[in-house]
Amino acid sequence: MYRFAHLSDCHLGAQKQPDLRELEFEAFRMALDDALQNDVDFMIIAGDLFHSNIPNMETVKRATLELRRVREAGVPIYVNYGSHDYSPSSTSMIDILESAGVIDKVVRPIPGKKLGLEFTVDEKTGAKITGLSGRSRTLEVDYFMRLDREALEAEEGFRIFLFHSAITQFKPADLADMESVDLNLFPRGFEYYAGGHVHRKGCYIEEGYGPIVYPGTLFGSYAGDLEENARGEKRGYYLVEFTDKVRETEFREISPAEFDYIECDVTGKNSQDAYHQIGREISGHDVTGKVVMLKIRGELSSGRTSDIDSASIRERLESMGARVVQINRYGLSTREIQKVRVVESDVPRLERRIFREKLAGLDIKNRSLIDGGDSIAVELLRRLENEKAPGENRNEYERRITEDAEDVLGLDLGGDDT
Amino acid sequence: METAGQIIGGETAAVLIRQKAGEPIELGDLLVAEGDGYTILQVKDLKYRSQIPQGMRELASGFNLEGYSGDVEFLEPELRNYIIAEARPILHVRDGKPLIPKRLPGFFREVRRIREGDLDFLERPRNPVFLGHVRSGSKVLDTPVYVDAVDAITHHILIPATTGRGKSNLVKVMLWSLAEMERVGILVLDPHDEYYGRNEAGLGRHPSDNVIYYSPDAPVGGNTLTINLRSLRPEHFEGIIPFTQAQEQAIARYHNEFGDEWIMKIVEGEELPGVQPVTLNVLRRIFDVTLGVYLDNEGNIKSRGGVFRDRGGDSTIKDIAASLEDGKIVVVDTSRLMGEAELLVGSVISAEIFRRYQHYKATGELRRKPVIGIVIEEAPRVLGKEVIERQGNNIYSTIAREGRKFNIGLIAITQLVSLIPRTVLANMNTKIILGNEMAQERAEIIGSASQDLSDDNRTIASLDKGEAIVSSIFTKFAVPVKIPLFEEFIESAGLESEDTEDEKIDFIG
Repeated sequence: MYRFAHLSDCHLGAQKQPDLRELEFEAFRMALDDALQNDVDFMIIAGDLFHSNIPNMETVKRATLELRRVREAGVPIYVNYGSHDYSPSSTSMIDILESAGVIDKVVRPIPGKKLGLEFTVDEKTGAKITGLSGRSRTLEVDYFMRLDREALEAEEGFRIFLFHSAITQFKPADLADMESVDLNLFPRGFEYYAGGHVHRKGCYIEEGYGPIVYPGTLFGSYAGDLEENARGEKRGYYLVEFTDKVRETEFREISPAEFDYIECDVTGKNSQDAYHQIGREISGHDVTGKVVMLKIRGELSSGRTSDIDSASIRERLESMGARVVQINRYGLSTREIQKVRVVESDVPRLERRIFREKLAGLDIKNRSLIDGGDSIAVELLRRLENEKAPGENRNEYERRITEDAEDVLGLDLGGDDT
Repeated sequence: METAGQIIGGETAAVLIRQKAGEPIELGDLLVAEGDGYTILQVKDLKYRSQIPQGMRELASGFNLEGYSGDVEFLEPELRNYIIAEARPILHVRDGKPLIPKRLPGFFREVRRIREGDLDFLERPRNPVFLGHVRSGSKVLDTPVYVDAVDAITHHILIPATTGRGKSNLVKVMLWSLAEMERVGILVLDPHDEYYGRNEAGLGRHPSDNVIYYSPDAPVGGNTLTINLRSLRPEHFEGIIPFTQAQEQAIARYHNEFGDEWIMKIVEGEELPGVQPVTLNVLRRIFDVTLGVYLDNEGNIKSRGGVFRDRGGDSTIKDIAASLEDGKIVVVDTSRLMGEAELLVGSVISAEIFRRYQHYKATGELRRKPVIGIVIEEAPRVLGKEVIERQGNNIYSTIAREGRKFNIGLIAITQLVSLIPRTVLANMNTKIILGNEMAQERAEIIGSASQDLSDDNRTIASLDKGEAIVSSIFTKFAVPVKIPLFEEFIESAGLESEDTEDEKIDFIG
């Protein structure tokens, strides 16, 4: 009997707040420790190990030390790109870590009319691993369409298909907007399908396929994820036992901190009453040592949303012993000011909705922009947020950003000639 | 002017035209009589006439048939024996504007065959759905016929046709145009899996990415049809599956108690106070037969066919609704589903769209949304008098009655128009009438048409495969149409998407 750990969506470097960044890393370290304690033979990280393709050096340094520790324990780590740490020019931190021998990227195409994939064979267990990376806006669907499924299905042995895409059939209802790939594009009959990208855990059994598994995010990259943590969503990784087929899949919960979720609906209140209501609400919670996710939503009858002073609410929660306070007021509006007409639970969704609303009001001839303009805009925004990496000179940075932008926009500006 | 005949008498409903020798006139031919603009007449009937008394003609025939002498010929036969066409003036065109004819064309006026230019007033609408070309008898003119998608769909379209008259071909041709439109989303419930075209020409070849295909066993590029049982609410079954009062009450109790888990609890056989075990068992059987969900020996919910299931498929309905809202055509292959399950799938999606559009109307967003059309075959299953009386209204009959307010319409296909209530038929303001040999059905079609087709009974019976009459409140007259063969249509127009299989893969990853 062999074992492996299946992680995904660690999103190291996603959190900006130091305490949350620490917790994010703690979750990663705890997962690796737990897997090592369970004597895994190898690990799989199904995309988005990092939150961006060139994360900050501190994040890289700490992650490398942890990954090297695993490697030195004789446990190989097999990875693919996720939609966040993917690089069109193979200059992602994933590639650098692979060059340094810390991890093994298992996405290896075989040239041809159809897209063939080489298997990476784990020396100790003989498990054969292959798969596809995630790309922004689910562009990997083109690869899935061209995949040489017959060749993959003909391979014998214990096969793992690694991917970083939502599967249409298994998308949660509230993530219907998420772009996805139909299961019929996957090769059938693999013994295990190691998924990433969807931030909620799930294990699906489908006739003709081995277990299709998403561990979900290890900690969370967006406020929406952390809110889900606070509402009881379990985070962690899958520990898988196998011989010639999967014998058991066990979800191992990783919880680096306690969370508390407080939601205040202030609909119909004026801003002063709303502020008092929030005060009463939080006073009923024991927040000592916890990460507090406070969600304020609803439409104020009068007053401005800025009258509800987040800083003082935060101070109060911190004085009550809260370890970290995150206040989500994207769902808050007022009758007096109707400029913000979209209500969403987190920033990416809000951005997407705003772009979509704006697009609807424009006279655009290009059909693809009408259909996918919101995704392109959100992705472009995210890529342009990438900061200059330490040691990267201005030209390199500009080139990287330009390449990223070209990739998102589907353009070729001619590289160095422009 | 190539004269085809001359007006020699008649009345408003039937102008008599003597056919010129050697210029055969056909049933349905469009003829033109000029004068103060021109009048378009349509031939409704043809009759022999002769100046030679009946007895003489019979005697002459006897000579020929019985071989009494050589061939008996009439003197100047083209003068003495001829054909009279009965034609109805269908339109008067003055200064390029079509008008309902209110007077007869000039007496003894010569008539000619219609030409393309005579129909220049048939303009291409803003949202054109191509139906075919104008047909004069069996001759096809180079004048395309369109209806405006937004107008026609929101006022519902009825396609009455018996088997083999080309309704699938017509629907494919229509959907091809609709796939190019952003302002229209179409849900196609396809019980014969014939529209997408897995192995033959179909909408799957459309060059845009606007055709989305769902099937229980979708090919590469399609979407697997899976619907989570939690997506189903009791109202989705209304008017689709005939439940007894006791069963309805039981369903309400399960739904109140377990929320969206209600079907699973019934299938699992979880008992509830106030619900008789026998009722529970009957419901389990109904869900087994209609949805294909049952409990296996280990107590797990299983799905026969894989469409309705307890895991996965959570977002399918929302995905489909979102695609429709994006102006796409969503073809749902229901060929592997039981009849009720097919209607149920449509019911769930239609209800979601209806709910969304009600909301958009309330918030003032409706005008920015595409209109939605729902293609439903064998429409009397949901729009039939008996069905509605026995099982009450369903989402389809609700859309037929109220859909226009919310920019949602039906494209209903049926062989049996007579089963649909007059009130519903009256709301279907565009009818694309294909050949129908059943007199009762023709009478219903004629009785509910937007134009007076009272003397078209025989014409409808004689419509050949691919021939149709378009009767609509949006057309000035009932337009005879020849629908092109779909395969030839997309081939001749060079409309198919190009095969990209040979393109080199530029792999990154």
